[in-house]
Amino acid sequence: MRTAYVADTGVFVRCGGPDNEKFQRLRTAVRRADVTLTVPRRVYEELGGDPAVDEYPSGDIPASTGFEEGWIGVAEELDYANPLVSTVMDDACRVIASETGRDEDCIEKADTALVGLAAQLLDGGEAETVVLLTTDKPAGRAAERLLPEHGFDGGSNTGTSDDRIWKP
Amino acid sequence: MAKSPTRSDHPPIQHLQTVVDVLETPALARIYAHILDDGPVTVADIVKDLDAPQGTAYDYVEKLETAGLVEKVGGKRPYEYDADPVSITLTTDGASRTITPALIAAVARREDDGDVDTYVDRHGLDSLARALDYAVEYVDGEVNSRIAARELDISPLEAEIVLQALEPIAEAYAVDE
Repeated sequence: MRTAYVADTGVFVRCGGPDNEKFQRLRTAVRRADVTLTVPRRVYEELGGDPAVDEYPSGDIPASTGFEEGWIGVAEELDYANPLVSTVMDDACRVIASETGRDEDCIEKADTALVGLAAQLLDGGEAETVVLLTTDKPAGRAAERLLPEHGFDGGSNTGTSDDRIWKP
Repeated sequence: MAKSPTRSDHPPIQHLQTVVDVLETPALARIYAHILDDGPVTVADIVKDLDAPQGTAYDYVEKLETAGLVEKVGGKRPYEYDADPVSITLTTDGASRTITPALIAAVARREDDGDVDTYVDRHGLDSLARALDYAVEYVDGEVNSRIAARELDISPLEAEIVLQALEPIAEAYAVDE
């Protein structure tokens, strides 16, 4: 059974730099399980997109090390032409707006990329199970609510509120 | 005839000046936050708990006491100090900000957390106060770093870093406020 692990920006911030024990544990766990952490293209851009964060101790995010070592990979572009992907992302926009008390205009496509990627991987058969790792609770709740609506079972927690699992 | 105002041992402007000092001096903020969280404590407790230089601890506690931010309790030596939560609301041109114990705890965290320190260096205390408001919502799942980034006009990665850095304070003070 193929499981996709989709990771969000906050996970890498949480794990810290290469000297951080949390980072080392993440790398060991991912390698031991012989899997790859997949990040949406948008997350990849967020991780490398702001040179100013180099001033922060936590700005030293070793995602590039993970990409070079091969245990973090960038997902393919989201296929907006796929009606399931675009519908799930539109719906996620509404859920995130409602969860955060914002207008839908304030929610950008990037905010729904995580949920869109989960739908795309499940729909295209690239994964039979998707595990979402995120600190973005509104997006996590959007995934929990919407993926089952589109025929993917689950939303079961694995112990921490940041981990969610879906199956077709 | 105008009445003389009631005399107070802790005149308001001096009180405000000390609060400003607290906001500008993370080591002073750390001592005030510690007395607030763990008081009553003696200066010796503060020196031990915070690993603070003894002379600095005595000077800072005296400064906080003079301004009425902390007070002696009990009356027996060694004196113990306790604090009431500060709450000062400043209004300028329609913008309002309340200085709370959580904000002072965030300033105190500059001593221990380079991410908070860098954020204040880059964006200032008003932005720290706003980021702390977002951190409370972030903990409750009512906002994410991407929305916060747009509204604070910073990058999503910087928002995620500062929200995670402020998360422990948002959690610790959420019940109090």
